[in-house]
Amino acid sequence: MAIVRGSSKRYLAYDFLRYLVIIVMSVLVAFPIYWMILTALQDPNVTLQYPPSFYPKSPNLLGFHQLFTDNPMGRWLLNSAFVASVATAVTTTFGILGAYALSNFRWRGKILFSFILLFTQMMPEVLVIIPIYEIFAKFHLTNDLIALAFLHSAFVVPVCIWILKPAFRGIPKEVNEAAQIDGCSQMKILQKIVIPICSPAIIAVGVVAFFASWGDFLWGVTMISDRNLFPASVGLASTISQLNTPVQELLSGAFVYGLPPVILYIFVQRYVISGLTAGAIKG
Amino acid sequence: MTRPAKLLKALVTPRNRGVTSVSSFSKKNRIAYLIILPTVILSSIFVVVPIVQTLWISFTNQVLAGGQNRKTAFIGLKNYKGLAHDPHFLNSFRVTLIYAVLNIICSVGAGLVTALIVNKKFKGRGIVRGILTMPWAFPDVASAIIFVWILNAAFGVIGYFNQWLPFNTQGGWLTSSPLAFISVVGMSMWKTFPFYSIVFLSALQGVPEDLVEAATVDGASWFQRFKTVVFPAIRPTFILLCVLAFIFAFRQFSMIYLTTGGGPDETTQTLTISVFLTAFKFFDSAVASATGVFGLIVTAGVALIFLYFQAKQDKEQ
Repeated sequence: MAIVRGSSKRYLAYDFLRYLVIIVMSVLVAFPIYWMILTALQDPNVTLQYPPSFYPKSPNLLGFHQLFTDNPMGRWLLNSAFVASVATAVTTTFGILGAYALSNFRWRGKILFSFILLFTQMMPEVLVIIPIYEIFAKFHLTNDLIALAFLHSAFVVPVCIWILKPAFRGIPKEVNEAAQIDGCSQMKILQKIVIPICSPAIIAVGVVAFFASWGDFLWGVTMISDRNLFPASVGLASTISQLNTPVQELLSGAFVYGLPPVILYIFVQRYVISGLTAGAIKG
Repeated sequence: MTRPAKLLKALVTPRNRGVTSVSSFSKKNRIAYLIILPTVILSSIFVVVPIVQTLWISFTNQVLAGGQNRKTAFIGLKNYKGLAHDPHFLNSFRVTLIYAVLNIICSVGAGLVTALIVNKKFKGRGIVRGILTMPWAFPDVASAIIFVWILNAAFGVIGYFNQWLPFNTQGGWLTSSPLAFISVVGMSMWKTFPFYSIVFLSALQGVPEDLVEAATVDGASWFQRFKTVVFPAIRPTFILLCVLAFIFAFRQFSMIYLTTGGGPDETTQTLTISVFLTAFKFFDSAVASATGVFGLIVTAGVALIFLYFQAKQDKEQ
Protein backbone atom coordinates (compact mmCIF):
# COMPACT_ATOMS: atom_id res chain seq x y z
CA MET A 1 0.00 0.00 0.00
CA ALA A 2 1.26 3.39 -0.85
CA ILE A 3 2.20 5.47 2.12
CA VAL A 4 1.49 9.20 2.02
CA ARG A 5 4.60 10.90 0.78
CA GLY A 6 4.10 14.41 2.14
CA SER A 7 7.76 15.27 2.34
CA SER A 8 10.94 13.33 1.87
CA LYS A 9 11.70 13.65 5.57
CA ARG A 10 8.41 12.10 6.52
CA TYR A 11 8.96 9.42 3.90
CA LEU A 12 12.30 8.61 5.44
CA ALA A 13 10.82 8.32 8.90
CA TYR A 14 8.13 5.95 7.65
CA ASP A 15 10.73 3.85 5.93
CA PHE A 16 12.88 3.69 9.01
CA LEU A 17 9.92 2.64 11.14
CA ARG A 18 8.91 0.02 8.61
CA TYR A 19 12.37 -1.53 8.55
CA LEU A 20 12.44 -1.51 12.34
CA VAL A 21 9.14 -3.39 12.54
CA ILE A 22 10.28 -5.85 9.89
CA ILE A 23 13.57 -6.56 11.64
CA VAL A 24 12.02 -6.95 15.10
CA MET A 25 9.35 -9.27 13.73
CA SER A 26 11.82 -11.39 11.76
CA VAL A 27 14.04 -11.76 14.82
CA LEU A 28 11.07 -12.81 16.96
CA VAL A 29 9.94 -15.39 14.39
CA ALA A 30 13.43 -16.76 13.78
CA PHE A 31 14.56 -16.76 17.42
CA PRO A 32 13.12 -20.13 18.54
CA ILE A 33 14.78 -21.89 15.60
CA TYR A 34 18.04 -20.02 16.18
CA TRP A 35 17.90 -20.99 19.84
CA MET A 36 17.39 -24.64 18.91
CA ILE A 37 20.45 -24.63 16.65
CA LEU A 38 22.51 -22.87 19.30
CA THR A 39 21.57 -25.29 22.08
CA ALA A 40 22.05 -28.32 19.83
CA LEU A 41 25.58 -27.29 18.92
CA GLN A 42 26.73 -25.89 22.21
CA ASP A 43 28.41 -27.48 25.20
CA PRO A 44 25.78 -28.02 27.95
CA ASN A 45 27.96 -26.23 30.50
CA VAL A 46 27.74 -23.06 28.41
CA THR A 47 24.03 -23.57 27.79
CA LEU A 48 23.16 -23.70 31.47
CA GLN A 49 25.09 -20.53 32.33
CA TYR A 50 23.29 -17.40 33.45
CA PRO A 51 23.05 -14.95 31.80
CA PRO A 52 22.71 -17.02 28.64
CA SER A 53 25.06 -16.53 25.73
CA PHE A 54 23.29 -15.42 22.55
CA TYR A 55 26.00 -16.63 20.20
CA PRO A 56 27.66 -20.06 20.03
CA LYS A 57 30.48 -20.72 22.46
CA SER A 58 32.59 -23.90 22.42
CA PRO A 59 30.46 -25.67 19.81
CA ASN A 60 30.51 -29.46 19.56
CA LEU A 61 28.53 -32.28 18.00
CA LEU A 62 28.20 -34.40 21.15
CA GLY A 63 24.43 -33.92 21.22
CA PHE A 64 24.04 -35.64 17.87
CA HIS A 65 26.33 -38.44 18.98
CA GLN A 66 24.27 -39.00 22.14
CA LEU A 67 21.05 -38.76 20.18
CA PHE A 68 21.97 -41.56 17.81
CA THR A 69 23.59 -43.82 20.42
CA ASP A 70 20.94 -43.47 23.16
CA ASN A 71 18.00 -43.99 20.80
CA PRO A 72 17.35 -45.77 17.50
CA MET A 73 17.13 -42.28 15.99
CA GLY A 74 18.35 -43.35 12.55
CA ARG A 75 15.67 -45.99 12.50
CA TRP A 76 13.01 -43.48 13.58
CA LEU A 77 14.01 -41.04 10.85
CA LEU A 78 13.87 -43.80 8.24
CA ASN A 79 10.43 -44.83 9.50
CA SER A 80 9.21 -41.24 9.13
CA ALA A 81 10.77 -40.95 5.69
CA PHE A 82 9.11 -44.18 4.60
CA VAL A 83 5.66 -43.25 5.95
CA ALA A 84 5.89 -39.73 4.53
CA SER A 85 6.97 -41.01 1.09
CA VAL A 86 4.12 -43.50 0.87
CA ALA A 87 1.64 -40.91 2.14
CA THR A 88 2.90 -38.34 -0.36
CA ALA A 89 2.62 -40.77 -3.29
CA VAL A 90 -0.88 -41.88 -2.28
CA THR A 91 -2.10 -38.34 -1.55
CA THR A 92 -0.76 -36.86 -4.75
CA THR A 93 -2.25 -39.62 -6.90
CA PHE A 94 -5.65 -39.54 -5.22
CA GLY A 95 -5.57 -35.74 -5.09
CA ILE A 96 -4.92 -35.37 -8.82
CA LEU A 97 -7.68 -37.82 -9.71
CA GLY A 98 -10.13 -36.27 -7.27
CA ALA A 99 -9.45 -32.71 -8.35
CA TYR A 100 -9.80 -33.74 -12.00
CA ALA A 101 -13.14 -35.36 -11.30
CA LEU A 102 -14.32 -32.19 -9.58
CA SER A 103 -13.00 -29.75 -12.14
CA ASN A 104 -13.71 -31.49 -15.42
CA PHE A 105 -16.74 -33.68 -15.05
CA ARG A 106 -20.33 -33.52 -14.13
CA TRP A 107 -21.65 -36.25 -11.90
CA ARG A 108 -24.20 -37.04 -9.27
CA GLY A 109 -23.09 -36.59 -5.68
CA LYS A 110 -20.49 -34.02 -6.61
CA ILE A 111 -21.81 -31.46 -4.13
CA LEU A 112 -22.05 -34.02 -1.34
CA PHE A 113 -18.54 -35.17 -2.14
CA SER A 114 -17.21 -31.60 -2.05
CA PHE A 115 -18.89 -31.02 1.27
CA ILE A 116 -17.44 -34.19 2.77
CA LEU A 117 -14.02 -33.09 1.54
CA LEU A 118 -14.33 -29.63 3.05
CA PHE A 119 -15.63 -31.09 6.26
CA THR A 120 -12.83 -33.65 6.49
CA GLN A 121 -10.35 -30.88 6.10
CA MET A 122 -11.90 -28.85 8.90
CA MET A 123 -12.73 -31.75 11.17
CA PRO A 124 -10.45 -32.19 14.17
CA GLU A 125 -8.94 -35.64 13.59
CA VAL A 126 -8.84 -36.50 17.27
CA LEU A 127 -12.63 -36.52 17.41
CA VAL A 128 -12.81 -39.76 15.44
CA ILE A 129 -9.77 -41.31 17.05
CA ILE A 130 -11.66 -44.03 18.95
CA PRO A 131 -13.37 -45.80 16.04
CA ILE A 132 -10.24 -45.52 13.92
CA TYR A 133 -8.19 -47.01 16.72
CA GLU A 134 -10.74 -49.81 17.00
CA ILE A 135 -10.64 -50.47 13.25
CA PHE A 136 -6.84 -50.62 13.37
CA ALA A 137 -6.88 -52.93 16.40
CA LYS A 138 -9.49 -55.21 14.83
CA PHE A 139 -7.58 -55.68 11.57
CA HIS A 140 -4.16 -55.83 13.27
CA LEU A 141 -3.06 -52.63 11.59
CA THR A 142 -1.49 -51.09 14.68
CA ASN A 143 2.29 -51.05 14.34
CA ASP A 144 1.88 -51.11 10.56
CA LEU A 145 3.63 -48.20 8.87
CA ILE A 146 1.84 -48.56 5.53
CA ALA A 147 -1.54 -48.43 7.24
CA LEU A 148 -0.33 -45.32 9.07
CA ALA A 149 0.66 -43.73 5.75
CA PHE A 150 -2.83 -44.34 4.30
CA LEU A 151 -4.35 -42.89 7.44
CA HIS A 152 -2.25 -39.75 7.00
CA SER A 153 -3.36 -39.54 3.36
CA ALA A 154 -7.02 -39.75 4.24
CA PHE A 155 -6.78 -36.48 6.15
CA VAL A 156 -4.61 -34.62 3.65
CA VAL A 157 -6.25 -35.60 0.34
CA PRO A 158 -9.07 -33.05 0.88
CA VAL A 159 -6.66 -30.12 1.26
CA CYS A 160 -4.80 -31.30 -1.80
CA ILE A 161 -7.94 -31.54 -3.91
CA TRP A 162 -8.84 -28.08 -2.66
CA ILE A 163 -5.48 -26.70 -3.84
CA LEU A 164 -5.51 -28.54 -7.17
CA LYS A 165 -9.08 -27.81 -8.20
CA PRO A 166 -8.64 -24.09 -8.98
CA ALA A 167 -5.34 -24.86 -10.72
CA PHE A 168 -7.03 -27.45 -12.96
CA ARG A 169 -9.90 -25.09 -13.64
CA GLY A 170 -7.47 -22.41 -14.69
CA ILE A 171 -6.55 -24.32 -17.86
CA PRO A 172 -8.23 -22.61 -20.83
CA LYS A 173 -11.13 -24.66 -22.13
CA GLU A 174 -9.87 -24.28 -25.71
CA VAL A 175 -6.86 -26.45 -24.85
CA ASN A 176 -9.12 -29.19 -23.61
CA GLU A 177 -11.46 -28.92 -26.60
CA ALA A 178 -8.61 -29.03 -29.07
CA ALA A 179 -7.24 -32.17 -27.43
CA GLN A 180 -10.66 -33.79 -27.58
CA ILE A 181 -11.03 -33.01 -31.25
CA ASP A 182 -7.61 -34.57 -31.79
CA GLY A 183 -9.03 -37.74 -30.25
CA CYS A 184 -7.52 -37.54 -26.80
CA SER A 185 -9.41 -39.44 -24.11
CA GLN A 186 -10.10 -37.68 -20.82
CA MET A 187 -7.35 -39.60 -19.05
CA LYS A 188 -4.91 -38.77 -21.85
CA ILE A 189 -5.78 -35.10 -21.43
CA LEU A 190 -5.07 -35.37 -17.73
CA GLN A 191 -1.78 -37.08 -18.36
CA LYS A 192 -0.51 -35.04 -21.30
CA ILE A 193 -1.96 -31.60 -20.62
CA VAL A 194 -3.34 -31.05 -17.13
CA ILE A 195 -0.51 -32.59 -15.09
CA PRO A 196 2.35 -30.88 -17.00
CA ILE A 197 0.64 -27.47 -16.94
CA CYS A 198 -0.24 -27.73 -13.25
CA SER A 199 3.05 -29.18 -12.07
CA PRO A 200 3.75 -26.26 -9.67
CA ALA A 201 0.45 -26.86 -7.89
CA ILE A 202 1.12 -30.61 -7.86
CA ILE A 203 4.55 -30.04 -6.30
CA ALA A 204 2.87 -27.83 -3.69
CA VAL A 205 0.42 -30.61 -2.96
CA GLY A 206 3.23 -33.14 -2.62
CA VAL A 207 5.01 -30.88 -0.16
CA VAL A 208 1.86 -30.33 1.88
CA ALA A 209 1.31 -34.09 2.05
CA PHE A 210 4.91 -34.73 3.02
CA PHE A 211 4.83 -32.09 5.77
CA ALA A 212 1.56 -33.39 7.16
CA SER A 213 2.79 -36.96 7.35
CA TRP A 214 6.30 -36.13 8.57
CA GLY A 215 4.89 -33.79 11.21
CA ASP A 216 2.10 -36.04 12.43
CA PHE A 217 2.24 -37.02 16.08
CA LEU A 218 -1.35 -37.82 17.03
CA TRP A 219 -1.83 -40.87 14.78
CA GLY A 220 1.69 -42.12 15.27
CA VAL A 221 1.43 -42.09 19.05
CA THR A 222 -1.97 -43.74 18.91
CA MET A 223 -1.22 -46.52 16.43
CA ILE A 224 2.46 -47.33 16.88
CA SER A 225 3.59 -48.84 20.17
CA ASP A 226 6.67 -50.77 19.01
CA ARG A 227 9.65 -48.56 19.83
CA ASN A 228 11.52 -49.69 16.72
CA LEU A 229 8.64 -48.67 14.49
CA PHE A 230 8.17 -45.18 15.97
CA PRO A 231 8.11 -42.35 13.48
CA ALA A 232 10.65 -39.68 14.47
CA SER A 233 7.93 -37.45 15.96
CA VAL A 234 6.78 -40.13 18.39
CA GLY A 235 10.34 -41.21 19.17
CA LEU A 236 11.41 -37.67 19.98
CA ALA A 237 8.31 -37.05 22.06
CA SER A 238 9.25 -40.12 24.09
CA THR A 239 12.62 -38.49 24.83
CA ILE A 240 10.92 -35.31 26.12
CA SER A 241 9.10 -37.31 28.76
CA GLN A 242 12.32 -38.95 29.92
CA LEU A 243 13.49 -36.38 32.41
CA ASN A 244 17.12 -37.41 32.25
CA THR A 245 17.52 -36.66 28.53
CA PRO A 246 20.28 -34.02 28.30
CA VAL A 247 19.02 -30.78 26.81
CA GLN A 248 21.69 -30.78 24.09
CA GLU A 249 20.54 -34.22 22.95
CA LEU A 250 16.88 -33.16 23.01
CA LEU A 251 17.48 -30.07 20.90
CA SER A 252 19.75 -32.04 18.55
CA GLY A 253 16.75 -34.30 18.04
CA ALA A 254 14.52 -31.34 17.20
CA PHE A 255 17.24 -30.12 14.83
CA VAL A 256 17.65 -33.41 12.95
CA TYR A 257 13.92 -34.00 12.75
CA GLY A 258 12.91 -30.40 12.04
CA LEU A 259 15.49 -29.72 9.39
CA PRO A 260 14.40 -31.97 6.47
CA PRO A 261 11.08 -30.16 5.94
CA VAL A 262 12.78 -26.77 6.13
CA ILE A 263 15.42 -27.80 3.56
CA LEU A 264 12.78 -29.32 1.33
CA TYR A 265 10.79 -26.15 1.75
CA ILE A 266 13.66 -23.91 0.66
CA PHE A 267 13.89 -25.81 -2.63
CA VAL A 268 10.22 -25.73 -3.46
CA GLN A 269 9.25 -22.45 -1.77
CA ARG A 270 8.25 -20.79 -5.02
CA TYR A 271 5.73 -23.48 -5.95
CA VAL A 272 4.33 -23.81 -2.47
CA ILE A 273 3.59 -20.14 -1.98
CA SER A 274 1.91 -19.73 -5.35
CA GLY A 275 0.12 -23.08 -5.15
CA LEU A 276 -1.14 -22.69 -1.61
CA THR A 277 -2.19 -19.10 -1.85
CA ALA A 278 -4.01 -19.72 -5.11
CA GLY A 279 -5.93 -22.50 -3.40
CA ALA A 280 -6.55 -20.45 -0.30
CA ILE A 281 -7.70 -17.32 -2.07
CA LYS A 282 -9.89 -18.82 -4.73
CA GLY A 283 -11.14 -21.41 -2.27
CA MET B 1 -20.02 -26.89 -12.04
CA THR B 2 -17.15 -25.23 -13.76
CA ARG B 3 -17.58 -23.07 -16.79
CA PRO B 4 -15.17 -25.06 -19.00
CA ALA B 5 -16.90 -28.27 -18.01
CA LYS B 6 -20.28 -26.75 -18.78
CA LEU B 7 -19.14 -25.64 -22.21
CA LEU B 8 -17.45 -28.93 -22.85
CA LYS B 9 -20.54 -30.82 -21.90
CA ALA B 10 -22.63 -28.71 -24.22
CA LEU B 11 -20.14 -29.47 -26.96
CA VAL B 12 -20.14 -33.20 -26.44
CA THR B 13 -23.80 -33.83 -25.63
CA PRO B 14 -25.80 -31.01 -27.17
CA ARG B 15 -29.09 -32.90 -27.15
CA ASN B 16 -29.10 -33.50 -23.41
CA ARG B 17 -29.07 -29.81 -22.65
CA GLY B 18 -30.76 -29.09 -19.34
CA VAL B 19 -31.52 -32.67 -18.42
CA THR B 20 -29.18 -33.25 -15.53
CA SER B 21 -30.05 -36.81 -14.70
CA VAL B 22 -29.38 -38.03 -18.22
CA SER B 23 -26.33 -35.95 -19.00
CA SER B 24 -24.60 -36.79 -15.73
CA PHE B 25 -24.46 -40.39 -16.82
CA SER B 26 -23.14 -39.60 -20.25
CA LYS B 27 -20.23 -41.70 -21.32
CA LYS B 28 -17.66 -38.98 -20.80
CA ASN B 29 -18.71 -38.34 -17.21
CA ARG B 30 -18.82 -41.98 -16.22
CA ILE B 31 -15.05 -41.95 -15.81
CA ALA B 32 -15.44 -39.41 -13.00
CA TYR B 33 -16.87 -42.12 -10.76
CA LEU B 34 -13.90 -44.31 -11.48
CA ILE B 35 -11.26 -41.71 -10.67
CA ILE B 36 -13.05 -40.47 -7.57
CA LEU B 37 -13.31 -44.02 -6.23
CA PRO B 38 -9.92 -44.20 -4.43
CA THR B 39 -10.64 -41.02 -2.49
CA VAL B 40 -14.18 -42.14 -1.72
CA ILE B 41 -12.93 -45.46 -0.34
CA LEU B 42 -10.21 -43.76 1.70
CA SER B 43 -12.62 -41.16 3.08
CA SER B 44 -15.23 -43.81 3.84
CA ILE B 45 -12.84 -45.96 5.84
CA PHE B 46 -11.17 -43.17 7.77
CA VAL B 47 -13.76 -40.40 7.90
CA VAL B 48 -17.37 -41.29 7.14
CA VAL B 49 -17.56 -44.66 8.89
CA PRO B 50 -15.65 -43.42 11.96
CA ILE B 51 -17.96 -40.42 12.30
CA VAL B 52 -21.01 -42.69 12.22
CA GLN B 53 -19.32 -45.00 14.71
CA THR B 54 -18.39 -42.12 17.00
CA LEU B 55 -22.03 -41.09 16.95
CA TRP B 56 -23.10 -44.63 17.82
CA ILE B 57 -20.55 -45.06 20.62
CA SER B 58 -21.67 -41.75 22.12
CA PHE B 59 -25.11 -43.30 22.72
CA THR B 60 -23.65 -46.32 24.54
CA ASN B 61 -21.64 -46.95 27.69
CA GLN B 62 -18.70 -48.51 25.86
CA VAL B 63 -15.23 -48.49 27.37
CA LEU B 64 -11.99 -48.80 25.42
CA ALA B 65 -10.50 -52.27 24.75
CA GLY B 66 -9.55 -53.99 27.98
CA GLY B 67 -12.88 -53.54 29.67
CA GLN B 68 -14.67 -56.01 27.43
CA ASN B 69 -15.95 -58.11 30.29
CA ARG B 70 -18.65 -55.48 30.68
CA LYS B 71 -21.40 -55.61 28.10
CA THR B 72 -21.88 -52.48 26.04
CA ALA B 73 -25.44 -51.17 26.19
CA PHE B 74 -27.39 -48.45 24.47
CA ILE B 75 -28.04 -45.70 26.98
CA GLY B 76 -29.52 -42.99 24.78
CA LEU B 77 -28.66 -39.40 25.51
CA LYS B 78 -27.25 -40.09 28.94
CA ASN B 79 -23.68 -39.24 27.94
CA TYR B 80 -24.78 -35.91 26.53
CA LYS B 81 -26.84 -35.12 29.62
CA GLY B 82 -23.76 -35.99 31.65
CA LEU B 83 -21.64 -33.60 29.60
CA ALA B 84 -23.95 -30.71 30.35
CA HIS B 85 -23.02 -31.00 34.02
CA ASP B 86 -19.45 -32.22 33.54
CA PRO B 87 -17.11 -29.47 34.80
CA HIS B 88 -14.20 -30.98 32.83
CA PHE B 89 -16.11 -30.81 29.57
CA LEU B 90 -17.53 -27.35 30.22
CA ASN B 91 -14.08 -26.12 31.11
CA SER B 92 -12.49 -27.59 27.97
CA PHE B 93 -15.19 -26.07 25.78
CA ARG B 94 -14.65 -22.67 27.35
CA VAL B 95 -10.86 -22.99 27.00
CA THR B 96 -11.20 -23.98 23.35
CA LEU B 97 -13.52 -21.07 22.56
CA ILE B 98 -11.26 -18.49 24.22
CA TYR B 99 -8.26 -20.07 22.52
CA ALA B 100 -10.05 -19.94 19.16
CA VAL B 101 -11.04 -16.29 19.53
CA LEU B 102 -7.53 -15.31 20.64
CA ASN B 103 -6.14 -17.22 17.66
CA ILE B 104 -8.28 -15.16 15.33
CA ILE B 105 -7.42 -11.86 16.99
CA CYS B 106 -3.70 -12.49 17.46
CA SER B 107 -2.73 -14.64 14.50
CA VAL B 108 -5.00 -13.26 11.79
CA GLY B 109 -4.48 -9.74 13.15
CA ALA B 110 -0.70 -10.05 13.26
CA GLY B 111 -0.72 -11.73 9.85
CA LEU B 112 -2.69 -8.87 8.31
CA VAL B 113 -0.56 -6.14 9.91
CA THR B 114 2.63 -7.92 8.82
CA ALA B 115 1.38 -8.30 5.27
CA LEU B 116 0.45 -4.60 5.09
CA ILE B 117 3.92 -3.64 6.28
CA VAL B 118 5.83 -6.07 4.09
CA ASN B 119 3.70 -5.45 1.01
CA LYS B 120 5.87 -2.69 -0.41
CA LYS B 121 9.10 -3.77 -2.05
CA PHE B 122 12.21 -3.46 0.11
CA LYS B 123 15.69 -4.86 0.32
CA GLY B 124 15.81 -8.39 1.72
CA ARG B 125 12.13 -9.05 1.11
CA GLY B 126 12.91 -12.57 -0.09
CA ILE B 127 14.76 -13.37 3.13
CA VAL B 128 11.93 -12.01 5.27
CA ARG B 129 9.45 -14.10 3.29
CA GLY B 130 11.64 -17.15 3.86
CA ILE B 131 11.82 -16.49 7.61
CA LEU B 132 8.07 -15.96 7.74
CA THR B 133 7.31 -19.38 6.29
CA MET B 134 9.78 -21.28 8.44
CA PRO B 135 7.45 -21.90 11.42
CA TRP B 136 4.82 -23.29 9.07
CA ALA B 137 7.30 -25.80 7.63
CA PHE B 138 8.61 -26.71 11.06
CA PRO B 139 7.04 -29.88 12.54
CA ASP B 140 4.88 -29.54 15.67
CA VAL B 141 6.87 -31.96 17.81
CA ALA B 142 10.13 -30.15 17.08
CA SER B 143 8.43 -26.82 17.87
CA ALA B 144 7.14 -28.28 21.13
CA ILE B 145 10.66 -29.38 22.10
CA ILE B 146 12.01 -25.91 21.38
CA PHE B 147 9.33 -24.21 23.46
CA VAL B 148 9.63 -26.67 26.33
CA TRP B 149 13.28 -25.69 26.44
CA ILE B 150 12.87 -21.93 25.92
CA LEU B 151 10.09 -21.73 28.52
CA ASN B 152 11.76 -24.09 30.99
CA ALA B 153 11.25 -22.67 34.48
CA ALA B 154 14.79 -23.27 35.72
CA PHE B 155 17.08 -22.96 32.70
CA GLY B 156 15.00 -21.60 29.84
CA VAL B 157 16.16 -18.46 28.08
CA ILE B 158 12.80 -16.90 28.98
CA GLY B 159 14.22 -16.51 32.51
CA TYR B 160 16.56 -13.88 31.13
CA PHE B 161 13.68 -11.82 29.73
CA ASN B 162 11.37 -12.32 32.72
CA GLN B 163 13.14 -9.57 34.63
CA TRP B 164 11.76 -6.94 32.24
CA LEU B 165 8.19 -8.16 32.42
CA PRO B 166 5.71 -6.17 34.48
CA PHE B 167 4.13 -9.28 36.02
CA ASN B 168 5.16 -12.18 38.19
CA THR B 169 6.48 -15.25 36.36
CA GLN B 170 7.50 -17.21 39.43
CA GLY B 171 5.41 -20.31 38.73
CA GLY B 172 7.03 -20.95 35.35
CA TRP B 173 5.58 -20.30 31.90
CA LEU B 174 4.27 -23.80 31.28
CA THR B 175 3.33 -24.77 34.80
CA SER B 176 1.31 -21.91 36.26
CA SER B 177 -1.95 -20.26 35.36
CA PRO B 178 -2.58 -18.08 33.40
CA LEU B 179 0.97 -18.14 31.98
CA ALA B 180 0.53 -21.62 30.51
CA PHE B 181 -2.50 -20.52 28.51
CA ILE B 182 -0.68 -17.39 27.33
CA SER B 183 2.22 -19.61 26.28
CA VAL B 184 -0.08 -21.88 24.29
CA VAL B 185 -1.61 -18.89 22.49
CA GLY B 186 1.87 -17.50 21.89
CA MET B 187 3.16 -20.78 20.46
CA SER B 188 0.13 -21.06 18.17
CA MET B 189 0.68 -17.51 17.05
CA TRP B 190 4.33 -18.20 16.24
CA LYS B 191 3.24 -21.25 14.27
CA THR B 192 0.42 -19.67 12.25
CA PHE B 193 0.66 -15.89 11.90
CA PRO B 194 3.69 -15.91 9.57
CA PHE B 195 1.85 -18.22 7.19
CA TYR B 196 -1.28 -16.10 7.34
CA SER B 197 0.80 -13.05 6.48
CA ILE B 198 2.09 -14.81 3.35
CA VAL B 199 -1.48 -15.60 2.30
CA PHE B 200 -2.56 -12.00 2.97
CA LEU B 201 0.43 -10.80 1.00
CA SER B 202 -0.73 -12.74 -2.05
CA ALA B 203 -4.24 -11.39 -1.63
CA LEU B 204 -2.93 -7.83 -1.44
CA GLN B 205 -1.50 -8.23 -4.93
CA GLY B 206 -5.10 -8.22 -6.11
CA VAL B 207 -5.90 -4.81 -4.60
CA PRO B 208 -6.60 -2.38 -7.45
CA GLU B 209 -3.61 -0.02 -7.29
CA ASP B 210 -5.30 2.76 -9.27
CA LEU B 211 -8.15 2.91 -6.78
CA VAL B 212 -5.68 3.28 -3.93
CA GLU B 213 -3.94 6.08 -5.85
CA ALA B 214 -7.24 7.79 -6.61
CA ALA B 215 -8.27 7.64 -2.97
CA THR B 216 -4.91 9.08 -1.96
CA VAL B 217 -5.32 11.95 -4.40
CA ASP B 218 -8.81 12.58 -3.00
CA GLY B 219 -7.21 13.00 0.41
CA ALA B 220 -8.44 9.79 2.01
CA SER B 221 -6.59 8.92 5.20
CA TRP B 222 -4.69 5.66 5.54
CA PHE B 223 -7.53 4.13 7.50
CA GLN B 224 -10.19 5.31 5.03
CA ARG B 225 -8.24 3.81 2.16
CA PHE B 226 -7.88 0.56 4.05
CA LYS B 227 -11.57 0.42 4.89
CA THR B 228 -12.97 1.31 1.48
CA VAL B 229 -10.45 -0.03 -1.03
CA VAL B 230 -8.00 -2.49 0.46
CA PHE B 231 -10.13 -4.48 2.86
CA PRO B 232 -13.03 -5.23 0.47
CA ALA B 233 -10.50 -6.70 -1.96
CA ILE B 234 -9.02 -9.06 0.61
CA ARG B 235 -12.22 -9.84 2.51
CA PRO B 236 -12.62 -13.41 1.15
CA THR B 237 -9.08 -14.22 2.30
CA PHE B 238 -9.78 -12.58 5.65
CA ILE B 239 -12.88 -14.72 6.21
CA LEU B 240 -11.06 -17.87 5.13
CA LEU B 241 -8.18 -17.24 7.51
CA CYS B 242 -10.54 -16.47 10.39
CA VAL B 243 -12.20 -19.82 9.78
CA LEU B 244 -8.81 -21.55 9.61
CA ALA B 245 -7.64 -19.87 12.82
CA PHE B 246 -10.85 -20.84 14.59
CA ILE B 247 -10.63 -24.44 13.43
CA PHE B 248 -6.95 -24.51 14.38
CA ALA B 249 -7.98 -24.25 18.04
CA PHE B 250 -10.21 -27.29 17.62
CA ARG B 251 -7.47 -29.27 15.88
CA GLN B 252 -4.17 -28.40 17.55
CA PHE B 253 -3.00 -31.33 19.58
CA SER B 254 0.72 -32.09 19.65
CA MET B 255 2.04 -28.69 20.67
CA ILE B 256 -0.32 -28.41 23.65
CA TYR B 257 -0.08 -32.06 24.61
CA LEU B 258 3.72 -32.05 24.64
CA THR B 259 4.24 -28.71 26.36
CA THR B 260 1.55 -28.31 29.02
CA GLY B 261 -0.30 -31.61 28.65
CA GLY B 262 -3.52 -29.68 29.22
CA GLY B 263 -2.45 -28.40 32.62
CA PRO B 264 -2.04 -26.75 35.03
CA ASP B 265 -5.49 -27.40 36.47
CA GLU B 266 -6.87 -28.04 32.97
CA THR B 267 -6.38 -24.38 32.02
CA THR B 268 -4.97 -25.42 28.63
CA GLN B 269 -7.14 -28.50 28.19
CA THR B 270 -8.84 -27.94 24.85
CA LEU B 271 -11.53 -30.28 23.52
CA THR B 272 -8.90 -32.15 21.51
CA ILE B 273 -6.75 -32.83 24.56
CA SER B 274 -9.85 -33.70 26.57
CA VAL B 275 -11.03 -36.30 24.03
CA PHE B 276 -7.59 -37.87 23.86
CA LEU B 277 -7.15 -38.07 27.64
CA THR B 278 -10.70 -39.31 28.26
CA ALA B 279 -10.21 -42.05 25.68
CA PHE B 280 -6.64 -43.19 26.27
CA LYS B 281 -6.03 -42.30 29.90
CA PHE B 282 -9.44 -42.92 31.44
CA PHE B 283 -10.56 -45.44 28.77
CA ASP B 284 -14.03 -43.91 28.67
CA SER B 285 -14.77 -44.14 24.93
CA ALA B 286 -18.40 -43.23 25.37
CA VAL B 287 -17.85 -39.87 27.03
CA ALA B 288 -14.90 -39.16 24.73
CA SER B 289 -17.13 -39.87 21.73
CA ALA B 290 -19.89 -37.62 23.01
CA THR B 291 -17.32 -34.86 23.48
CA GLY B 292 -16.07 -35.60 19.97
CA VAL B 293 -19.55 -35.39 18.46
CA PHE B 294 -20.01 -32.04 20.15
CA GLY B 295 -16.77 -30.79 18.60
CA LEU B 296 -17.87 -32.17 15.21
CA ILE B 297 -21.14 -30.24 15.43
CA VAL B 298 -19.34 -26.99 16.20
CA THR B 299 -16.80 -27.41 13.40
CA ALA B 300 -19.46 -28.59 10.94
CA GLY B 301 -21.47 -25.48 11.82
CA VAL B 302 -18.49 -23.28 11.08
CA ALA B 303 -17.88 -25.17 7.82
CA LEU B 304 -21.50 -24.59 6.79
CA ILE B 305 -21.36 -20.87 7.59
CA PHE B 306 -18.17 -20.66 5.58
CA LEU B 307 -19.75 -22.50 2.63
CA TYR B 308 -22.68 -20.10 2.80
CA PHE B 309 -20.37 -17.08 2.55
CA GLN B 310 -18.48 -18.70 -0.31
CA ALA B 311 -21.65 -19.48 -2.23
CA LYS B 312 -22.85 -15.92 -1.72
CA GLN B 313 -19.55 -14.57 -2.93
CA ASP B 314 -19.58 -16.85 -5.98
CA LYS B 315 -23.03 -15.58 -6.83
CA GLU B 316 -21.89 -11.98 -6.63
CA GLN B 317 -19.08 -12.59 -9.07
